[in-house]
Formats: sequence, structure tokens, C-alpha cells
Amino acid sequence: MTDTSGAAVTDSARVWLHDKARAVRGWLLIATLAGLAGGWLIIAQAGVIASIVAAAISAGVNLDELLPWFAGLGGIIALRAALQWLQETAGLEAGLRVRRQTRAELLEHSARLGPVRLSAYHSAELAGQLLEHSEALHGYFARFMPQMVLAAAIPLSILLVVARLDWLAAVFLLASAPLIPLFMSLIGMGAERLNRRQFETLARLAGTFLDRVRGLATLQLFGHAERSIDEVARAADDYRRRSMRTLRVAFLSSAVLEFFAAVAIATVAIYIGFALLGFIEFGPAPQLTLFSGLFILLLAPEFFQPLRNLAQHYHDRAAALAAGDILLDLLRQPAAATPITTSNAHTAVRLTGVSVSHPGRGRVLGPLSLDIAAGQFVVIDGPSGAGKSTLLQLVAGFVSPDDGHCHRPDSFAWLDQRPFLLHGSVADNLRLAAATATDDALYAALREVGLTDWLERQPRGLATPIDERGSGISGGQAQRLALARVFLSAAPLVLLDEPSAHLDAHSEAHVLRSLQALAAQGRTLLVASHHAAVHELADRRIQLDAGQLIEGHGGHA
Amino acid sequence: MLELRPYLRLLLRRRGRLLLGIGLMLVTVLAAVGLLAVSGWLITATAVTAALWAAGNRVAFDVYVPGGAIRAFALTRTVARYFERVYNHDTVLRLLADLRSGVFAALTRLDVLAQPRLRDGLLLNRLTADIDALDNLYLRLLAPPLVALLASLAVALLLGWFLPASLLLTLPTLLILLLLTSLVCARHGYADSTRQMALGESLRLRLLEQFQGLAELIAYGALDRHRRWLVEEETDLLAGQRRLGRRLAGYNALVTLVIQTLSVAVLALALQAFQIGELSAALAVFMALAVLGLGEAFAALPAGFIHFGATCAAARRLTEQANRSEPQAVPTTTRLPRTAQLHAESLYFRYPAAETPVLDRVTLTLEPGQRLAISGRSGSGKSTFADLLAGLRRPDSGELLFGGCRVDQLPPDARRARIAYLTQRSDLFAASIADNLRIASSAADRDELWQALHCVDLADWATRLPDGLDTWIGEAGHRISGGQGRRLALARLLLRDPWLVILDEPFAGLDRATINTIGERLDGWLQQRSCIVFCHDTRGVPGLDRVMQLAAGRLHENRP
Repeated sequence: MTDTSGAAVTDSARVWLHDKARAVRGWLLIATLAGLAGGWLIIAQAGVIASIVAAAISAGVNLDELLPWFAGLGGIIALRAALQWLQETAGLEAGLRVRRQTRAELLEHSARLGPVRLSAYHSAELAGQLLEHSEALHGYFARFMPQMVLAAAIPLSILLVVARLDWLAAVFLLASAPLIPLFMSLIGMGAERLNRRQFETLARLAGTFLDRVRGLATLQLFGHAERSIDEVARAADDYRRRSMRTLRVAFLSSAVLEFFAAVAIATVAIYIGFALLGFIEFGPAPQLTLFSGLFILLLAPEFFQPLRNLAQHYHDRAAALAAGDILLDLLRQPAAATPITTSNAHTAVRLTGVSVSHPGRGRVLGPLSLDIAAGQFVVIDGPSGAGKSTLLQLVAGFVSPDDGHCHRPDSFAWLDQRPFLLHGSVADNLRLAAATATDDALYAALREVGLTDWLERQPRGLATPIDERGSGISGGQAQRLALARVFLSAAPLVLLDEPSAHLDAHSEAHVLRSLQALAAQGRTLLVASHHAAVHELADRRIQLDAGQLIEGHGGHA
Repeated sequence: MLELRPYLRLLLRRRGRLLLGIGLMLVTVLAAVGLLAVSGWLITATAVTAALWAAGNRVAFDVYVPGGAIRAFALTRTVARYFERVYNHDTVLRLLADLRSGVFAALTRLDVLAQPRLRDGLLLNRLTADIDALDNLYLRLLAPPLVALLASLAVALLLGWFLPASLLLTLPTLLILLLLTSLVCARHGYADSTRQMALGESLRLRLLEQFQGLAELIAYGALDRHRRWLVEEETDLLAGQRRLGRRLAGYNALVTLVIQTLSVAVLALALQAFQIGELSAALAVFMALAVLGLGEAFAALPAGFIHFGATCAAARRLTEQANRSEPQAVPTTTRLPRTAQLHAESLYFRYPAAETPVLDRVTLTLEPGQRLAISGRSGSGKSTFADLLAGLRRPDSGELLFGGCRVDQLPPDARRARIAYLTQRSDLFAASIADNLRIASSAADRDELWQALHCVDLADWATRLPDGLDTWIGEAGHRISGGQGRRLALARLLLRDPWLVILDEPFAGLDRATINTIGERLDGWLQQRSCIVFCHDTRGVPGLDRVMQLAAGRLHENRP
């Protein structure tokens, strides 16, 4: 990605983050107001402390008489702590809400994208991104946004108070202030770039590590494991050296900010000292007292504190922008519109003049028209890339046609080469298709796909856990388990994409028998397959070549 | 707490660095305390002196020493802070390298039995997350409480030196605050922060399901139902985060409350001492401001300790992962095989959770130079059998002899040199083609690499690549096709000089023409070696002497 397009994307991420902020405006307002009130209380606290000290030391007032002042001080401190809590929890609430809402939006959108568009993403990576990138938004709303207001308002308030006490001291503070925005932007730019690069290198480093762990068995087989330990260590050390180079720059720019803050405080302290001794005849200096001097001194560090906090939270902003970029990329993918019309009782599927094109690949299917009668077993054949899967996806509504119309029944069943299994029990997996199915119905469905023998060997029966990788069962068994769902659903149309690929002879025989059983139930079957055994079962064969229809002759239609 | 021990020990290997880092942090905090306190002292002292001068008392006042001190503290603070950050980040990154290679080294010592699980992507993600959680052990949990303790002691003792009575107030208060913001805070957040990881994991699983199963979820109208599960788990996760966040806010507010109140209390105590003439006015202000400056030392404590449970959980899981199974058996024989005869006698193997055995009293003899194919349907245990033959698994009973020696007792190096094994999955690494091949033989020259590629019909393809052998194949070989990856894994084997070759589905995902080409070229290399091929389809394997079938745990000879 070039720099300019990167900046453009970040701009839209900024707009998107602002939109998100609107939904939690109330919480952000509470956090900001609490922070502001806390800042004003700091000013009040400094004033009271300076008064007490001045009264006790310069005026020689007895401490007992100052008791109300101390009590007031205690109240201010308690209130400050309470406001600090309020600011933090309100920010927390804003962050939590934005994250929840963003995740809901992403889920909604990913469902709308449909399985075909989504297949462009690596699902595990996508799940990780959804989780981690929405987490990365938190700090921006919880901390950075309120702090942005505070970083302007509190120093300004302090400056006004100091100016009233001694305008020269205010000038000293102000003198370092114009430099601050400059350094802030330097830090900000640095932090953003740094964050992006940090994300990348850390991901690459984790990749190298995972890669080696995943292939450990092979490394050991070749006696290469010992050497790989060094490789892992070296990769991590390379990463250290590279990131230290950038970190040093980032730390240096924030050190400069701190340096100006420290120098300003020191200058103010020394100026007040000299002024009190009467060494400075200029301006307001002769009027300084212990009270005003101490007051100003106590406020000087607080003048810089909100800015330092903002600098600290700057990485929250950078992280949120980087995450926003990636999430927006997903959200901007156009959803698959599905102009599906319900078909009539006799014709299960009717395609009229449909064509489909994929970005970068041009037209992959059609234009073609096709009628499939209800109850037919139709097999789609053709070389790989002929558009078999696209045809099925079109009927399912997972891709939308550029032209033409598509009619099919409202409900359909779907199975492709990779069976999808839930993290749950066998029963959970089956009930996906029919939430209220009885155990008997589940057993019946398992019988249809020849899994009863296997289930009887499982001590926990229908409660046997299946993990998300389907470990514990073979690929063929997984495919049949997914097929059992089709029997449970009442869908009149069944779409199957290469249901017998990658299966051994035994599982394949079961799958074929199941297809036959489905056809016998009067369902309409549309199966993409170049398997001769499947062809023999079919009523009708459709041949596709380069997206074009070449009707073949069916078995006995 | 105990689960952190091995990782603390790992940290302590860099004791010197850690101490220096903590020292720099302490200097930064003390410089901040000094800057504020001395400034207060100067202002009060000058005000008092000015009053005395006004009253006609010509006392001397040296403004340059405190002025210099203020400037020195200001500079020290900035410089120490810069170096502290650079130095400690460097330390953390070094620790990350230690931790990664340490965990990896522990994993390499694992019995291979534990390794199939390592391929699980979710488990791998968790592994990295756990390591990340421990990376910051030093900066979040170890250094801050130590710095707070040392800074508290230093300030309390200094103030005690000026006004002994203050020690009774400051020291207990600061120590209790330290206790509250570290141990108590850790306990308070323990349960929730421990659960966070598990909740995050199950949310991740549900998300994964939604993406992988979208087609079926849509087809069966189950999307909304699945979505409700997802939202429930998310609600649980967020509720835990909310509780943790609120508690953290509470502890942060507590730090403000205690430090500010303590500063006021010290001020009252010191002013009292001033009024009875025990303490100078300037020192009274100095004392109050010094306590105020200490706030910085405590500020970062709660945020680290509220997530203590998660750190412990990460350590626990990591340790468990590394200790999951017994370490590899130490070879007990020094006798080495003299011939390539393989003899399996009544092998029995059953997975702990399974009801039926994968291998049920399997007996087999393979004479040197013989080529055997074993077929069987998926799930019949071909890969498990291959693992056993290669010595990667131990049979529950029975004996496996190679050249008269028990395979599982052979020294690993001797076993690897004589038995080459192509696993069912091609393990490719984020490296170049050449580096991936050289895993098998680090000394192989480029001619040998080209020769091996030619044998698997990849040489033409590799020649056409702009970077040739140096082409980067991506993480787990994702940048090349599955079929190319399979052939690359096979080529790796050809760089070795084994007596026995075990191939598990060597031609998976390859088209017929390529299989035939490779079969012909492989024939020469297989001369003088024994070979066992596990596959669905025995076509393409050249010169087979025997074909057997594995079914229901038994091995049957195929009669032609």
C-alpha cells in the first residue's frame, strides 16, 4: 500500500470512529465532565493548601483555627477520587458499548456478505480480527476521546488562574505551551507509524513461531529441531533490534515534551523564589506572596499533566485507527443481494437468462436458462472452473446474478466438500437443521447415512462431543454427519457440491445410498459432481463448459 | 502464584538488567519527588527570608544551591525517564525472545504423542496469547511494586529524619497502600480475570463457526439461533470486563485518595512541628510535597495487578502444554541395526479415548529392498500405523524391530538416519524453497536440491520462478499450491539416504500424469531401499512387491 492511499483509508477510519462516538455521546460527556470537574478541584485543592501554608507560616495562625480549611481539603480530595472513578467507569462504559455494537455490526455484515464473499478471508484469521480489532477500539473511546477535551480545557483553566495570580508566571508556562502541540503531532505521527509497523512485525514474528511449532514433528524427523530453537530465538532478537530503533525515536520525542515541562516547572519555581526575595523588580513580581507563589508552584505540574496523559493515550488512538482501517475494509465489501423469487409447485428451480461474473475473473456463468422439475435428481458435470459451484451458489442465493431471474423454493439444504461441524455434541450438530427434532428423529437421520454403528460404539451416544475440527471422527464420518442434517430438514430442495470428493470407498457408498434415499423422499436434488457413480443415480445430467450450458442426457428422465 | 515460578526464574537469568531497569525507574520517581519538594522548599524559604529581611534581620540566603538542585532534578527526571523507557523496553523484548525460545525448546523435548494437538490453530493462537501475557511480567508485576516499595521507604525515611513522628504516619500508610494495590487488588480481580481467557476463547469458537458454517446456517435458517448463542457469550465476556474495569477504577481512585490525604496529614503534622519550633517552615512544605510526588510510583500498580489472574492462568496453561506428556524416552540400547529388515510382532495400539483399537495384533515382516503398499479406508488407522513404524508412537503392546533392534529404543539420530518418513501432512515453513529442503540435509548443495526437485517434477516450475530456489513460500507454504507443497515435502526426503522409506499418501492432491512422472523418477531412488507406502490408491507406486489392506485393526494380504 502506498502512503497516500494509507492516509486516505485512515481518514475514513477517523470518520467512522466519530460516527461510533455519536452512539455513546452520553457516556463520553459524563467522562469528560467528570474529568473537567476533577481538574477544577485540583485547582481548588492547590489554592486551599497554599492558603493553609501561608496562614500557618506567614500569618502565624494556629492550626486549630485552620481546622475548617483542613476539613474542606478532605472533602475536595474525596470528591476528586469519586470524580476520577466516575470518569474512568463512564469511559469504560463507552468503550464496552462501542465494542459490542461494532461486533454486532460486523457479524450482521458478514452474514449479509454470504459464504462466497466471505471465503476470500481466512476464517480463523477473520474471527481473530473481529475479536482483537474490536477490542483495540476500547482505549480510544474510554480514554483518548475524553482526554482530548481535558488536555485543552484544564491547562487553559490553570493558565487563567495563574495569570490572575501573576501574569509573568503564566507567560513562563505559556512559553513552553506552543511547543507542545508541535511535539504532540510529532509524537502522534510517530506513534501511528510505529503502531502499524509494530502490528505487522509482531504478526510476522508470531507467524514464524507458530510455523515452527506446527511443523515440530517434521523438524524432529529430520533432526532439525535443535537448530530451530536458535531460529526462533534469532527471529525474536531481530525483532527486538528492529523495534528498538523505532522505539528510541518515539521515546525521544516524548522525552522532549517532558523536558520542556520540567524546565517550565523549574523556571517558575526559581522565578518565584527570586521574586519573593525581592530580586526581581519587574512586572507583577514584587506583589508575589507565599500564598500566590505556592499556589502557582502547585499548579505548574498540573498544567502539563493532562497533556502528558494525552500523549500516553495517543497509542490508543493509533491502535483504534489501525483497527478501524481493517474493520472498515470488511464493512465496505458489498453484500450479496439475493433477488430470489419463490418457485411454484411443479418447477423447483427456474433460472431465466442469468449470468454471474466475479471481480477479476469476468463472467464465470451464463447467460443461461434452466428449469428443474420438482423431485428431479439433477447432476451438474463439467471440468473444474466450468462454473458448477457458481451455479449452486447462485441457486442458494450466495451470489447474485448480473442479469436474469432465479426462482427456487424458500427453504433448501446445503452441503459442500468441507462439512461444517459445530463445537458441541452430535445432537447439537444435527439439531442445527431442526431445532425441535426428537432423539428418535436424530437416530433415524443417522441411520440414513449409516452412522448408527459408529454411534453405538460411543459411550455417550448422541451427547458425544464433536470439536470444531471434527477430531475424533474421520473426514468421511464428518461428511455423513453433515448429510444427516439434510434428512432432518424438510427442505424440498437439496444443493450438494461434490459431496463424495475425498471420501474412501466405504463412506462414498453410504453417501450414494443417502442421495438415493433423499431422491426417494421426493426432494429435488441438484448435485455438482464428476463422479460416475453419482451420474448413474441421477435423472438428468447438466453439462457445463466455461459457464455455458450443454444439456446432457439423463439416466432415465 | 506458584505457576509463575518457572517464568520468574527465566526472568532472573537477566538479573543485572532487571535491577538496572528498576534502578532507573526509581531514579525517575525520586527525581519527580525531589523536583516538587525542593521547589516548595525554595518558595517557602524565600518567603520566610523575605519576611525576615523586611523585619530588618539581615540573614544570609543562598538561592543558587536549591536553584541548581531544582534544575538538576528537572534534567535528571527527563533523562532518567528516557533511558528507563528505552532500557526497559529492550529488556522486555529480550525476555520475549527468551520466553519464545524457552517454550519452543520445551515443546521440542515433548513426546511426539503430544504433537498432533500442536497443529490446532486455536491452540496455537492461545499459545502466542499466553506468551504475550507473560512478556510483561516484569514491567507490569515485578518492577512497579518494587519501585513503589523502595521509593516509599526512601521518602518515609527521609521525612522521618526531619520529623521522626512522621514515620509512624507515612510508613504504615504507604505499606498498606502498596498491599492494597498489589496483593489485595490481584485477589479481587483474580476470578474474573482468570475467566476472561476462557470466555474469549469460546467467543472466538462461535465466531469461527459462524464464518465457516455460514452456508449451512443460512440454508437451515439457523443463523439467528447461532447468533443468540454468540451474543450470550459476548455478554458474559463484557460483564466480566465491566466488573474488572470498575474495580480497577476503584483502586485508581483509592491511590489518589490515600496519597493526597496522606500529603495533607503530613502537612498538618509538619506545620504543628513548625509552630512549636521543631521544624523549619520550608521543611514542612518540603515534606508535604514529597508525599504528593510519590503518587506516580503507585499509579501503575492496580492496572497490572487486577489482571494477575489472567497472567497466572497463562503461565499455568503454558506449563501444562509443555508438560502434557512425558519427555521422549531416552534410548536404552547402543546396538545399531545391521540390516533393513522390519519386523512387527503382534502390535496393539488404541487411542486412550477410543473404544476399539486402531491396530489389533498386527504382525508383518518386510525384507530389505521390498516395497509394500498398505491401503485402507479413511479412519482405518493408516497414519497411526505409519507413525508407529517410524517410531513416533509406541505400541501399547507388541514389538517392532528394525534390523533386530527395537525401534522405540534406537537413539533418535540413528533412527532418523535409517528411516525416512513422509507424514500425511506436508509441514512447510515460512522460508525459501532451498531452506525448506535443507531441513532434511543442511549440507546439500544447489545441484542436489535441483536434482531432488527434478525427481518430484518441480524443477521446471522452480526454474521459471524469478527467485528460483530462494522463492519465499509463505507461512506454512501458503504461497504455493497444495500439490506443489506435497511434492516439496517429498523432495525433502530424497535428500536423505535412508534404509527404510515410509510414505503416507505421497501423491495426495496430484493429477494422474504427475503421479506417473514422479513414480518413474522415484523408482531409481528407491532401489536398494525398503519402502512402505500408505495410500487409498496404489496406482503410481512403482514396482510394488506386495499390497495389504488395513481394516478394523487387522492387516490382510491382498490377493490379486
